Amino acid sequence: MTMRLAAAELVESREILPGQWLQAYHAPAIASGSRAGQFIHVRTGDFSGMVLRRPFSVNTADTATGIITIHFRVIGRGTEWFTRLRAGDEIDLLGPLGRPFEVDPRSSHLLLIAGGLGMAGVRMLADEAIRGGRQVTLLFGAASSREVYPSSLLPDEVEYVVATDDGSLGHHGFVTDLVPSYEAWADQAFACGPSGMLAALARQAEGRRGRLGVAKLGRKRGGGRGDPAGSPAARRKAFLQVSMEQNMGCAVGACLGCVVMSTTGVPQRVCREGPVFASEELVWEGTWS
Amino acid sequence: MKAKRRVVTSSGRSAGASRTPVQRRSRPATDPVAPRPGTEARPASALSGAASDNGRGPVVEVDLSVDLGRGLVLPNPILVASGTFGYGVEYGDVVEVDRLGAICCKGTTLRPRIGNPTPRVTETPGGMLNSIGLQNPGVDAVIEKYARTWAGWKVPVIVNVAGESVSDYVEVTRRLEGVPGIAAIELNISCPNVGRGGLQFAIDAGAAGEVTAAVRRATDLPLLVKLSPNVADIRPIARAIADAGADALTAINTLSGIAVAPDRTKPLLGNIYGGLSGPAVKPVALRVVYEAAQAIKIPVVAIGGVTELADVLDFLAVGAVAVQVGTAIFADPTLPVRLVDELAAECRRVGVATHLDLVGTALPPRAGAPSAKGVEYRP
Repeated sequence: MTMRLAAAELVESREILPGQWLQAYHAPAIASGSRAGQFIHVRTGDFSGMVLRRPFSVNTADTATGIITIHFRVIGRGTEWFTRLRAGDEIDLLGPLGRPFEVDPRSSHLLLIAGGLGMAGVRMLADEAIRGGRQVTLLFGAASSREVYPSSLLPDEVEYVVATDDGSLGHHGFVTDLVPSYEAWADQAFACGPSGMLAALARQAEGRRGRLGVAKLGRKRGGGRGDPAGSPAARRKAFLQVSMEQNMGCAVGACLGCVVMSTTGVPQRVCREGPVFASEELVWEGTWS
Repeated sequence: MKAKRRVVTSSGRSAGASRTPVQRRSRPATDPVAPRPGTEARPASALSGAASDNGRGPVVEVDLSVDLGRGLVLPNPILVASGTFGYGVEYGDVVEVDRLGAICCKGTTLRPRIGNPTPRVTETPGGMLNSIGLQNPGVDAVIEKYARTWAGWKVPVIVNVAGESVSDYVEVTRRLEGVPGIAAIELNISCPNVGRGGLQFAIDAGAAGEVTAAVRRATDLPLLVKLSPNVADIRPIARAIADAGADALTAINTLSGIAVAPDRTKPLLGNIYGGLSGPAVKPVALRVVYEAAQAIKIPVVAIGGVTELADVLDFLAVGAVAVQVGTAIFADPTLPVRLVDELAAECRRVGVATHLDLVGTALPPRAGAPSAKGVEYRP
């Protein structure tokens, strides 16, 4: 679906974790037109002081009810403004934006990896995958048990594995520590979270093929022309896709504010070529040096 | 409404006749100089809001077209600013581009540029800082990728040209010359975000005149030059650019600024410095337009913090003949097109047939005279 401007009415708003909010909006066109990995760009009400919209991943989308949800942490005046909205208030949103996660039709085991608020980036993919009859394992990392996303907000079919930095719940350590146990099981992996976590996952993904001794999924015998980097087909064949975050201006590709460096040396727009990228498309260290 | 594009003629309308109030309705769009107080009687009917005191009844058809010189006649005076509207294609169906006055595309350089490290944008009170650093694929790629699309549009596309040296500017201009779909050039000599992004040309009258003259010799395309507010006195620079053959001025580019990272261990932007834009800069832009409009005889296109019709009218009042909308597009992509309709409605409301009658109403009465105060500058 092409992007559009739409009004959306707040249906429900609640603080699910300290400082973290889940809000449901009635936006039928966005709900039916969005795919996992895409985002919306929402205008704040106080335009005199806040001149930029705020980007949010589409956390869930329910076609039947026309409801989408967003999940965010209060980090400034903009996000704080959203928490003051009441049911019935309307927001102005632009979406759906960006390119979605690409799931290979043959993939039956999906590994989702989320760090903190990164849950919002992969949450909808869990729904989509389960609807598609796939098995989903979701690895989640947080600083402590206080910040662990409630399992009650996840579909029952998801295998949910938690790691906390302080060991207060689940694995004591980083969520990336859990990945080696699942990389042989998984056909594809999808991640969203802090840049350090994504960089670590990208390094792990790089060596996976050699460690497992398996051919890259979908690779034809004898090679042939590869899919162009960044194409949906190329992304489907990559083991790891990541959803990236950057400060954003226009969110449609006009201002070039939200770029990440690619291996081709040309910065890629998170809002347009992303937010989802195959991990091998991006440069993870010393990007502009 | 859609403004008519006028044909350039000299059909018996002397400039003098066109400037009397009763002739306002048929004022030729080819007059490159905006009416200035002192050379034209104040449009009293406009100020009083009485639509019919000129004995012709209310104005029903408003002509918003504006001539920026050298045949560049915009259908209306609402432009979208360079860097905020990409190459005109990004907003897709959300914006009716053909209803805009013109599109100023992203700053274009001779060779591709990857731009500055991230973060590149951040919000500030009433505005934003950006330090994109002129990321662009280079002039040849821009022509190849977009010129064909632009040629199919009614809206004029003005290519914003940036460079590091006079020869860069000239070479980019040469390559744009004669390409269908390119209506004009806006020289960006004022980008504050790159070490050698041309700002050196905007802070010195001699250098500004030199680069303008060099580009002027290289092209017959209409030429706008975009001023930087990061200078002590804009007037000598504006004069030098006008004298060097620019057809119009754009004022202003962003103001240099910085933001601090949330952990306060370093500046926030990857480039440290960024350009401030948005409503926060509007008073500065008004001041620069106010001064430039009195210093020169070529049209001034205003830019800086336009978010609503009142801002457009303010800029017209201090001497601009057209305005660019920039940062506000990010929050409200449909704003520029809406401003076109609102400006036409405002002209009807006050009883003028062209928005040019609203130009310069706040300037001092003596036309062309520099500001009488002369003490505004305490840099």
